[in-house]
Amino acid sequence: MDTRVLVESRYAEQLKFFESSELFHLVESGLGDNKFYDDFIANLCQSHLKSPQILAFLYAVAPPSVVRFIQYNMLEELGLDAEGICHPDLLRNLAIAVGFDRDRIEQIEAGSQSELHRMCSEPLLYGTLKELGLSVLLEVSSFEWMLSRLAGRIGQALQQHLKLSSENLKWFSHHSEVDIRHAEEGLDSVVNYVNHYGFNSDDLETILDITFRENVFIKRYFGEIALAKETNILT
Amino acid sequence: MKIIEATLFALKIPFTESFSHSLKSRTFSDSIVVRIKAADGTIGYGEAVARPYVTGETVESCLKFMADRIWTKIVQIDYSQAEKDIKWLFDISQTIPTENLGESIIYNAAKAGFELALIDCFLKSQNLSLSAILPPQRNSVIYSGVITASSIEKAVKNAKSFKLFGLKHIKVKITGEDDILRIGSIREALGSEISLRIDGNAIYNLDTAIAICQDLAKFQIDVAEQLIQPTKPKILAQLKSQTTIPQMVDESLITLKDAESLIAAKACDFFNLRISKCGGIAQTIKIAQLAQTAGIKLQLGCQVGETAILSAVGRHLAAWLDNLIFVEGSYGTLLLSEDLSRESIHFGNGGKANLLRQPGFGIEVQDQILAKYACETIRLF
Repeated sequence: MDTRVLVESRYAEQLKFFESSELFHLVESGLGDNKFYDDFIANLCQSHLKSPQILAFLYAVAPPSVVRFIQYNMLEELGLDAEGICHPDLLRNLAIAVGFDRDRIEQIEAGSQSELHRMCSEPLLYGTLKELGLSVLLEVSSFEWMLSRLAGRIGQALQQHLKLSSENLKWFSHHSEVDIRHAEEGLDSVVNYVNHYGFNSDDLETILDITFRENVFIKRYFGEIALAKETNILT
Repeated sequence: MKIIEATLFALKIPFTESFSHSLKSRTFSDSIVVRIKAADGTIGYGEAVARPYVTGETVESCLKFMADRIWTKIVQIDYSQAEKDIKWLFDISQTIPTENLGESIIYNAAKAGFELALIDCFLKSQNLSLSAILPPQRNSVIYSGVITASSIEKAVKNAKSFKLFGLKHIKVKITGEDDILRIGSIREALGSEISLRIDGNAIYNLDTAIAICQDLAKFQIDVAEQLIQPTKPKILAQLKSQTTIPQMVDESLITLKDAESLIAAKACDFFNLRISKCGGIAQTIKIAQLAQTAGIKLQLGCQVGETAILSAVGRHLAAWLDNLIFVEGSYGTLLLSEDLSRESIHFGNGGKANLLRQPGFGIEVQDQILAKYACETIRLF
């Protein structure tokens, strides 16, 4: 199968499962309680606060055909592009807007740092950085792909149910439907990366299987136990 | 030194995906963690994995035995300090009761849980690592991958993942259904370089076991593990004599007495040792020593769903044991959605894992993770 079609089909599977999950429905419907929304926003912030660092890793392993895209993304995340909006700061503003106290915000920052620590300390299963890089690129671009389709809906739900202002929800509008082009470029990056490093289709499929063995969106935004319940691993 | 309190945590940690063999399909770890506190404030952690089809223990019966029989005994003992001598491990083990209720129920997992907690606690109290008693004979431990009894398509995907991870040894759970197609497909995916072994979890009878060994021999199977139900050693000896694939015992080997009978009957080529099954470190070592004398090769296995505690103990034993050919375990977050230790315990590329040098078993158990996944907590004073 064509690389782009194969990768996009996996993103679509992940998105479909996420979108049809009970948890996503709770976010959209307003049926979740305060704790549910607080935990969702805390997990979302924790998942994306260190995006510039992850992109910096990808920048280091990216082939020439991909490096400009990663660089652009990284500078945009850091607020060092023409727009000058630091994305982690948008998440911090969101956390303050929903009323998190200093302890909770520190907890989110620490959780985010701890995830980086885990990534750096864990024994590597892959034999080389090119495989690890592909796995990271797949997850990062799958989030861009998902957010380009769902960020607007999530932002709208939070505006409606938590009475948050558009200003507080800027992170979502930055990643929403208008960003489809961005997501498409992410897919191009994957294809170029796969071609540059000469992955065969068997290894690409295996890395896709490993990267998406769980629903990465539910896992990051709702946590391990929620994922286990959603997939009937824990009933 | 006296032990002043203990807490038993019955855990329910979800797996990242279900794990099946011919006897059971699991989707979460149901390990029991024993947390003890000594009079000097030192904390030690042990782990028990209750398996009805192995030692006859259930989580409920194991917890009850721990609380009613083990705790009431050890709380009265004034323990000596840890010593850099294997005899000290044996002495600790001797203080913990077990009970053999006939053929099928032996409280070995319960005993292992407390033995490990005591050893970890006293070693930490003296700032000693278990490696001070079991000095490593190798610089790292090489683990095997295990392919669960899922669909053949899934099994082949797992095989490809393990190949990509550079694993050198792979075990496949077989079920009596489509074994030839399953093993053939996996061998094709792996190529000829990777060592392959099979595990029947006692699903065959003698005749079908002999037949399946004949059928699968062409796929370069290095070992066949527990194909038939635990039975008289002479029946296992028949299987061994009538197949070309070396035979390993697992469910047939629980106690030292089992080991003696199996050796006397020349019933197998390999022992599969498992720390929880065998009743802790000391009893596992005693069986290993017996095997060494008899020229039986060893696999250090694990129970599906073990957490970092049993994985860490397994790492120490695997680094120390002679005649050890295969090692299983240390799957950590490759199987568990979250593990108990602060540091990652799972192996890396090639199945390789480094030795643990810190005091006790060398890991830091996170109490908040225990609390997060405990479905029952029993405090003992």
